[in-house]
Amino acid sequence: MEIIPADRFTLQELTELYNQTRVDYLVPMPMNADRLNEYVHDFDVDLHESCVARDANGQVLGLSMLGFRKQIAWITRLGVLPASRRTGAGSALMKSMLANAARLGAKETHLEVIKNNKPAYELFLKTGFVEKDTYLVMRHAPRPMNISMQGDVTWLNFDAALEKLSDYPNHLTWVNAIDSMRNSPNTEGVHIKLSNGSSGWLVYSNTKFTLRSTLSHLIMHTEHGSAEEVGIQLLTHLHARYPYHDTYAENIHENDSHLVAFQTLGYFTNFSRVEMRYQQK
Amino acid sequence: MAKILYIEDIQDNITFVERIVKARGHEFLFAKNAETGLELAFTSQPDLILLDLGLPDADGQTLSVWLKGNPTLAATPIIVLTAWPEEVVRQTVSAYNLNGYLCKPFALMDLVNMINSVLGAKAA
Repeated sequence: MEIIPADRFTLQELTELYNQTRVDYLVPMPMNADRLNEYVHDFDVDLHESCVARDANGQVLGLSMLGFRKQIAWITRLGVLPASRRTGAGSALMKSMLANAARLGAKETHLEVIKNNKPAYELFLKTGFVEKDTYLVMRHAPRPMNISMQGDVTWLNFDAALEKLSDYPNHLTWVNAIDSMRNSPNTEGVHIKLSNGSSGWLVYSNTKFTLRSTLSHLIMHTEHGSAEEVGIQLLTHLHARYPYHDTYAENIHENDSHLVAFQTLGYFTNFSRVEMRYQQK
Repeated sequence: MAKILYIEDIQDNITFVERIVKARGHEFLFAKNAETGLELAFTSQPDLILLDLGLPDADGQTLSVWLKGNPTLAATPIIVLTAWPEEVVRQTVSAYNLNGYLCKPFALMDLVNMINSVLGAKAA
């Protein structure tokens, strides 16, 4: 088996390989080359440090991608073709990822695995990763709202939204981290102050597709007062401003204090992810 | 005879459904991504849309919002055909106000019955 840098392949070839590795995935999420390109850009994926595994005959077996920021590495898009599983390709890819991460100077490597993806979870445990926290991926379909809007809101542009995010006190997973949000041109936000003195903000991505837009990467923080109350009002204002947008709230901590607010607005959990971490030895 | 549009990126699934739909005398159209599917839906005005949730450019939930956001397609029934876990699909169909679902792999007659049921309800 040979492990080669992913940048020897075109984005189209990597996209096709990635999609083939996920045909029977727990939650099928295929990509096209444009989306993969955006993913590589927004999440600082280094294709030279990312890997493709192939056999002695040159047949590709799987791939894995590596992001790197400030001494933290991130493994993502790991997948092995269904016919090539249990051949050691996944382990070989993980070994290469960790070796590349170490060479780049990573002190820690993170990844996320979909909850109940037992083969992948066990591979990561075997490689030395330990489970940290569980995050929810939630959806919200456009719907009429019957919650009255309260408070004074200020809509935040890209710079103002990032300024708020820089004060966020909790851990953010890679896709919602400030570096990811800074890389996306679609980052916006909203700040609210309620009459009882409660306040907070919501930063999100307003992604423009060719034909319509969607909201994603929601990060919410209550500065003062009840997280439930502030959260409900932030989301109510958001969906009143964008009544026809589909919303994909990715990696909300399972114990996030705003969870009730999400549920009150009709968000439901699509699936869960477990963040795992590896300490460089 | 009805006009049925299937939006799905995997050719084997398209071929399987195409045989079933055509054998029942319906007209069959397909698109392999969300954007093409949306355009084809606008131009062909199908009687029924069969929708995969995992599409390469935008997922099926998002596409369903775009479809239903257009007045000429707002009433077009949408059936989800997906490999996603059933509980998630059930919630999705309810939240997005869709007309039904089948989890892959599904039996031929399940699809036939679902199509007949949705088209029958539409005609009624």
